[in-house]
Amino acid sequence: MRRRTVLKALAAAGCLPPAAYGGAPGATGRGEGGSPGAGPVSVDSLPKLDGELTMYLGRGEGGLYENILAAIRKRNPGLELNVRRGPSTALANTLVAEARAGRVRADLFWSIDASSLGIVAEHATAAKVPETLRRQLKPGFQYADWIAVSGRIRTVPFNSRRLAAGDLPDSVMALPDTDFRFGWAPAYGAFQSFVTAMRLLEGEDATGAWLERMAGKATEYAGEFGVVMATSRGEVDAGFANHYYTLRLKQGQPDASVDLAFTRNDAGCLVNASGVTILRESELAVNFVRHLLTREVQTYLAREAYEIPLVAGVPTPEGLPPLAELNPPQVDLERLADLQPTLRLLRRAGVL
Amino acid sequence: MKRLSFSHLTSALVALAVLAPIAVLAVLASGAELDLGGQTTAIVANTLALTALTVTGAVLVGVPMAVATAHTDLPGRQVWLALLAAPLAIPSYIGAFAYFAAFGPGGELETLTGLETASVRGLFGAALVMTLYTYPFVLLTTRASLRQLDGSLVDAARSLGLPLGQALWRVVLPRVRSGIAAGGLLVALYTLSDFATPAILRLDTFTRIIYVEYNAFGLDRAALLSLQLLALVAVVLILESRVGTERETAQRPLTLALRPGVRAGLVAAMTLVLLAAVALPALVFGIWLWRDGAGDFDPVLVWNSAYPALLAAAAAVIVALPVAHAAAAGSAGRWLERIATLGFGIPGIVMGTALVYVGLRLDFLYQTMALLVIGYVLRFLPLAVGAIRTSVARVDANLIGAARSLGASPLEAFRRVGLPLILPGVIAGGALVFLEAMRELPATLLLRPTGLETLTTELWQVYEAGYFGRAAMPGLLLIAVSAVALVFTLSGENRLNKARGY
Repeated sequence: MRRRTVLKALAAAGCLPPAAYGGAPGATGRGEGGSPGAGPVSVDSLPKLDGELTMYLGRGEGGLYENILAAIRKRNPGLELNVRRGPSTALANTLVAEARAGRVRADLFWSIDASSLGIVAEHATAAKVPETLRRQLKPGFQYADWIAVSGRIRTVPFNSRRLAAGDLPDSVMALPDTDFRFGWAPAYGAFQSFVTAMRLLEGEDATGAWLERMAGKATEYAGEFGVVMATSRGEVDAGFANHYYTLRLKQGQPDASVDLAFTRNDAGCLVNASGVTILRESELAVNFVRHLLTREVQTYLAREAYEIPLVAGVPTPEGLPPLAELNPPQVDLERLADLQPTLRLLRRAGVL
Repeated sequence: MKRLSFSHLTSALVALAVLAPIAVLAVLASGAELDLGGQTTAIVANTLALTALTVTGAVLVGVPMAVATAHTDLPGRQVWLALLAAPLAIPSYIGAFAYFAAFGPGGELETLTGLETASVRGLFGAALVMTLYTYPFVLLTTRASLRQLDGSLVDAARSLGLPLGQALWRVVLPRVRSGIAAGGLLVALYTLSDFATPAILRLDTFTRIIYVEYNAFGLDRAALLSLQLLALVAVVLILESRVGTERETAQRPLTLALRPGVRAGLVAAMTLVLLAAVALPALVFGIWLWRDGAGDFDPVLVWNSAYPALLAAAAAVIVALPVAHAAAAGSAGRWLERIATLGFGIPGIVMGTALVYVGLRLDFLYQTMALLVIGYVLRFLPLAVGAIRTSVARVDANLIGAARSLGASPLEAFRRVGLPLILPGVIAGGALVFLEAMRELPATLLLRPTGLETLTTELWQVYEAGYFGRAAMPGLLLIAVSAVALVFTLSGENRLNKARGY
């Protein structure tokens, strides 16, 4: 509770740097591409949840997702929600093993990364996404096997005392040619998705070479919040991380020496999504997912977690340039499920 | 005869249960690609280097302290001993966490004092942290052998003209070698199986890579690496079984008078070790608590940690009684005991990996509290057996016979004669299992029932997410509960020692 109040006070005091990354102040307006009329649903219009659900939660994003679950629990006293937390890749691994043994234990899998969702959907029989849910999402994020909940962009956070945004090349493939030290988190699902995207865009050989050259100048961290903290502390000059970690750090420490750089039209600025797979179909499970797409939850994700809401008509978070100003690559997120070749490359480069 | 066979049967069952995970791993590993290439060499080298450095460090720190607290005129020796054993209450990963966050550019120490410090990472960082939390094993085993020394032998050597240093080296050291070796091997076992410390300090040891592979759909590789790690563990266990304990009847306790300079140096060194092992983590976690507050810490985590550990302690004691009984009864029982206690050498990450797959075949066990407790018992049973066996060996069969001949039923004879005699061992063993189970991390991560978050899993997730400030409450509470369990263990052992007349 206290934390949130502090955040709100900071926001009110104007400590948040909405224009720090080249984004105009007006950039925090309405989300793009929302179909007119299909505004977000309010949680009040949803039926009460009643019954037992088991959810595997891949990374709680430092407790922010748990706050959402706690709020849903509070609204629905009849809901008995069992949550198993863990890294998204670890839980995907568990679900695949469970599916092979024919004993899937989870009704829902909420993961911070699309590749884990794709793998699980491939191995365990995932329920098809109901059309009513799909239609609530922005175009480009409507998938058959899982429901996108929030978006995130790959970024290059850099230490703003050591370098300026212009010092970094705008191609991720050119980064190993620089003299900078980088931080990364190779065990983290979103990083592995980034490497998968690079593989799909640049090919196996180029990606393998990139990893090997990068390995010589990279320091490993357990998670990407750690990467961003190390960057702001000056342990490394720059890093690889989802955008929101930097925004969250700046929210708590507005004078932290870290800013965001974006590469252009390559894996370095991949737009990825968190989402939910329904593993055991039931009305309860579907209604639960409906809650994650409500205006309240989507707004919370944008405001507190700095994630990009994927339901049409919910404003994007402050501090992030509008998607229209960025040049994300064209990668179908469903193809990120092809993780094995990526892991092979990571192993071969001695990075994993 | 009937009791004897019951004990043997139980021992045999436990021995089978311990061997089962190894069989499971062998099956899982059968499909693994062997082309881990240079990676395997690096993992073996890292693991061996960490183990060697940690054992060396623990001996260098632990042995002088054992001498200082056993045989000198240092004031307050008992207080020093209690303080120096205190790091046992702190899981090494808490130390790793604190050192990771305290040192290096922008670390907590720099924030606090403005002075730049070097990072504590990698091989030497991990060895330093492991040393700080494992030296008490060497301290305690060495001290136990020192206490059995006859002081008059040293006096004889000195009166024949040997200087003190030489007397210690030539007369004392050869006779406490087995104590030092026992402690050192225990340290080696801990280092080989520790998962979180090398993971946090970023050293690619077997345990860390097993976890990484397990989570990257590389189960067969994880199983293969597990078997390779077990081979290293087996070497340590074989060495351990060769360390004999020589006993001599202590005639006169040895007391060394220290020169003021030496005494000051000793006190300074011991204070430094305590500052590094206890004060620094307390400071770091204290800063976090002060800065970030308790946050939304859920007190139920304390119970979630204690409850499975209590179940494991109770189950381990119940299973340990017949195993210890069989071991005391003859050589067949001793062999069974040796197999049944192999589990201590199976690292938690390996045990967890194997039991998950047992669980997937046996649906009624998968993700249940029962499987978690079974994992703890298989792993920590040796601690209970060790504590109980010493007390069982003391029970003279004639005493039970006397009670029976006076008309007591077998149950009554056990309750009124046998149990009181072995109770100190039972308490010490149970507390030790509780202590280890409560702070176990890797097997808990894999085996816990859905929804069960413990202090250790919370700490790990806070670490992985990078929100260190939130580690304050789980970290400090883990230390507090460990300290209570440690007091129980040590007091049980004290009573045991008193009963043995030490």
